[in-house]
Amino acid sequence: MSTPPETEATSSASITPVERSSNSFLGDVWVNYKRWNLKAVRNPFVLVVSLVQPVIFLVLFTQVFGGVVEGTLRGPVGGLSYETYLAPAIAIQVAIAAAVTSGIGLVNDIENGMFEKVLVSPMNRTAVFLGKTLAEVSRIAAQIVIILLLSVALGASVVTGLAGAVGIVAIGVLFSISFAAFSNSLAVLTRDQESTIIGANLLQFPLLFLSSAFIPLETLPGWIQAFATLNPVTYAVDGARAMMLGQDVITVIDLPGLTGVAHTLVPAVTVLVGLAVVLGGIAVVLLSRASSSAVA
Amino acid sequence: MSPARDRADGTMTQLAVAAEGVELTYADGTRAVAGVDLEVPRGEFFGFLGPNGAGKTTTIKTMASLLSPTAGQLEINGFDVTESPRKVRQSIGYMAQETSVDPEMTAEENLRFACEAYGVPRGERQTRIDELLDLVDLAEVADKRSEGFSGGMMKRLDAATALVHAPPLVFLDEPTTGLDPKARNRLWAYFRELNAAGTTVFLTTQYLEEADQLCERLSVIVGGRIVATGSPEELKREVGGEILDIELSADQAARDRAIAVVEESTLFEPDATIEETPTGISVTSRQARERGPDLLVALRDAGHEVVGFNVRAPTLDDVFLAITGEELAAGPAAAGEAAVEAEQ
Repeated sequence: MSTPPETEATSSASITPVERSSNSFLGDVWVNYKRWNLKAVRNPFVLVVSLVQPVIFLVLFTQVFGGVVEGTLRGPVGGLSYETYLAPAIAIQVAIAAAVTSGIGLVNDIENGMFEKVLVSPMNRTAVFLGKTLAEVSRIAAQIVIILLLSVALGASVVTGLAGAVGIVAIGVLFSISFAAFSNSLAVLTRDQESTIIGANLLQFPLLFLSSAFIPLETLPGWIQAFATLNPVTYAVDGARAMMLGQDVITVIDLPGLTGVAHTLVPAVTVLVGLAVVLGGIAVVLLSRASSSAVA
Repeated sequence: MSPARDRADGTMTQLAVAAEGVELTYADGTRAVAGVDLEVPRGEFFGFLGPNGAGKTTTIKTMASLLSPTAGQLEINGFDVTESPRKVRQSIGYMAQETSVDPEMTAEENLRFACEAYGVPRGERQTRIDELLDLVDLAEVADKRSEGFSGGMMKRLDAATALVHAPPLVFLDEPTTGLDPKARNRLWAYFRELNAAGTTVFLTTQYLEEADQLCERLSVIVGGRIVATGSPEELKREVGGEILDIELSADQAARDRAIAVVEESTLFEPDATIEETPTGISVTSRQARERGPDLLVALRDAGHEVVGFNVRAPTLDDVFLAITGEELAAGPAAAGEAAVEAEQ
């Protein structure tokens, strides 16, 4: 950064008048995007922790259950290695695990006063939260890429190649928006780190196990199949799996008139976008309420 | 810095704060600000003095556009807080009561973020950051994460981040609460320099000494209302004279008899006030100094043992007592005595 020559630093205490300019909306987004990326790099612990559990799942599940599950794979997924079957599910698990930490950043900001400091600045408030969300989304995308690379190293194959991999990242990011919104809502409501982490993590395992993530639904009890039909994780995993295989894999819903990959992707993306809009809307209402009343 | 800045519509305003009937009632019905009328001219060092829960913080947050007034008119630097909150935010610095810094970022990064948030032009940022780090004596720890800073250092960094855009008006909400005397004195020096450079400073405090030392003018606020406004000297004059404190080695009954002696002596004007204190009695009178010796003699003749005495000018604590009839929660203690937590 350059220093203008005309500054009058007469004494250490001199206060140079500053011509104030107001930022553009995108400028405000960028400022906050940079801040949250900086904080993520400063805090690699969070990055690592949200990767560790999915990696353990990936390795343990494929080694322990691989042989058993491969025998149950039928239809479009028949004959696949369990690594290939599981990789999209782990990608979605990473999206969840990373997104639930979003609220923690918000709780910290409320606790250390930065939330109010940002509110009293002239920055556009929507841009502030957009910048933070984009930083988290970038991080989640990078984490999904890491999981995909690891899966391939373990023997999975992304049948659709690079385009499929980009598609999986896109589905993961789309799904993470709902969870990030949920985590931020918990953060505003509880104003407490532990409650936010526990609240969001509590949901992670039931949602993952009661879906098409780990084992084909046909082999599971009827009540799980019924629950899986309503479980957004099923749509996220099936969407990611369709991207990975280039095939129609959805079993919980049958939209007429659609064939091939679209038969899976259209309902999956619709459900994920709908959920993101609903949970995102709730988070926005809660956040703007918190912004307009004093944060003690 | 010019004393008045151009308003958006081209006219000028000489008032940093113009409040008329400002009220703030929270959703739960609590009326934290109950009709505040106030004018603070540009360049003034102004203070809000009041006990905990008097409405100081709520009022200052309303002025900083963090809360919307539920009634009344409020203009900051000529901008209406409800209609143009963003213009208000551009033209003020605000330092919250709770120290606000990002502990994961270094001192310099905290300042850089503030520069960016306030739109300080890219080419001026580094100069500005260096200048402010010097101002608050943090240049040596510029690259250290602020999580390791002492309470006083964090407070100074917080103050610096509120100044990045050289705002013509700065709100400081109890800036020295929780600081040790040394850290407090350093902050006071910065605030004085800031004001000397033309910045309007609006400070809240529950420390009388702080208001007395720093403020050109102040308002006493109790129960969300302003009960008195004036310079510290004007307010002290309202107390009505000087104060003669007499220390007696005696019990309650003896203090009552001593008060009777003062009343019967007719040494002081009729509106002089006589009060019991924990250690004796005190007399507030315009003739406290001249007639004091006579009173001491009268007390001795009446059989009282005077252990000590002192004639003093009224403090703002006396002002507060005279206006509200109650002591400030913190008592007459200096700011630093209540603070132990921060080490610097």
